[in-house]
Amino acid sequence: MTVRSKDVGLFEAAINVLKDFRAVWRVFTKTLYYLFRGKREKGEIARQMFHVGNESLFFMCITMAFIGAIITFQTGLQSKKLLPDFSLMGATYLKLLVRDLAASVGALPLATRVGAGIAAEIGSMVVTDQVDALRMCAADPIDYLVVPRFIACVIMGTVILVIGGFVAYGAGMLVAFVSFDVNPHTFNNLMYLNLGDLVLGFLKCLVYGAAIAIVSAQRGLATFGGSEGVGWATTEAVVGSCFAIIVLNLIISTVGYFLVPGVGPM
Amino acid sequence: MLPPLIRLENIHKAFDDAPVLRGVDVDVPESCIYALIGMGAVGKSVLLKIVAGLIAPEKGRVFIHDEDITEMGHLELAEVRKKIGMLFQNYALFDKNVYENIAFPLRRLFDLSEEEIQERVAERLARVALPGTEERIPQSMSGGQKKRIGVARATIAKPPIVLYDEPTAGLDPVTSQKIYDLVREEQRATGATVMVISSDVAGVLTIADRVGMLHDGKLVFDGTADEARKSTIPEVRQFVHGLTEGPL
Repeated sequence: MTVRSKDVGLFEAAINVLKDFRAVWRVFTKTLYYLFRGKREKGEIARQMFHVGNESLFFMCITMAFIGAIITFQTGLQSKKLLPDFSLMGATYLKLLVRDLAASVGALPLATRVGAGIAAEIGSMVVTDQVDALRMCAADPIDYLVVPRFIACVIMGTVILVIGGFVAYGAGMLVAFVSFDVNPHTFNNLMYLNLGDLVLGFLKCLVYGAAIAIVSAQRGLATFGGSEGVGWATTEAVVGSCFAIIVLNLIISTVGYFLVPGVGPM
Repeated sequence: MLPPLIRLENIHKAFDDAPVLRGVDVDVPESCIYALIGMGAVGKSVLLKIVAGLIAPEKGRVFIHDEDITEMGHLELAEVRKKIGMLFQNYALFDKNVYENIAFPLRRLFDLSEEEIQERVAERLARVALPGTEERIPQSMSGGQKKRIGVARATIAKPPIVLYDEPTAGLDPVTSQKIYDLVREEQRATGATVMVISSDVAGVLTIADRVGMLHDGKLVFDGTADEARKSTIPEVRQFVHGLTEGPL
């Protein structure tokens, strides 16, 4: 979404959001087209998977460990006031993590790390005419630049978010043990978890990975105005990706609540 | 004279409501070197990108081989661009080594074996006087060398149309003339139709078959290099002869 237009009114801002959505949608449909009809460069997808996966792993593990620890600690403090029984702490935390938090909270730092990188790289290529040079060399930028990043983000984004979820769970278990004397055997409770939660959580990981790639690539391709433009594109990519994640979370959670079997109130 | 291979009719283009091109008509005959000259920021690069289908005009039509490219979708435009090679003003070389940069169009356009690609890249590098530089990274090379690599990349697929955007910008006079000679030799060898835009009038007139001058969003002159030198149009006279007094 366009964050550059600070002085516009509400109506104009809404129009800008619609225009941005249309531009993102166009990139998404072209990406799907080239996903099946494009010409892949040898090793490019693996290279992008390395960038998205390996280079984000440490950052994501640290971030998710802190997030898991904070959530468990705050949950423990609050439940201590109301119901000083921690026997179901792990079970509820696990359901929350699998169904939503691992994907939705984890995707936000992932968007800052990966989305900014994608937008900056493609934006720099735009302002140095490399994207036009690609077009003149019979390589559509969507096919050559976006599709490999899209595939990498969907696959490695999911892997990273799943790993992040495990780390957050481990950190939560440690905090529960240290701060509230909850035995790891008690914390490790799968009784509230069902297949619907897993399906919903996994679907969110896939969709968020795709959204980060598409939104960031679109912002990168829309770059103009030299190095300042690249800076703006990077900012807009992060803001747009985070916004997309939050909106998609609302949509998937709502639809999932009604449609995915086994998802619903505990 | 052969019929025009590239024809621009009444081209209009504005950026942020500021008009850059205001009804430009250009005919570029087949197998001709057409030099487009004019002051800085007059819209020469914009016009070249319109010919390449990289920028859409707000009004007007662009014909290449009698096909109107302004009506085309992105897939049809991609097909037209396969017939066009382009050298960009700021090189636009990829973050790959010299070999991969020059081989790039071949990999995208044809299904050639690696041996064939190696052979054609070596031939191109010899042609632009940079043999044996396949493994070098363009970012570590001089401006003149980068331009030569750009020429090699633009011409390796032997396109019938080649566009050169300021091929000598920022280069010393000797290197500039070498680049112009290279452009001329390439055109003679392949018979391609060439459009060159340049602010270096003296250099570009040494190779141009025809010259057009853009001024104030319009084409104010279209003729041969000799006619340009002898032109009495005040803007053309001042620009071609580098005079400080005049309308520019």
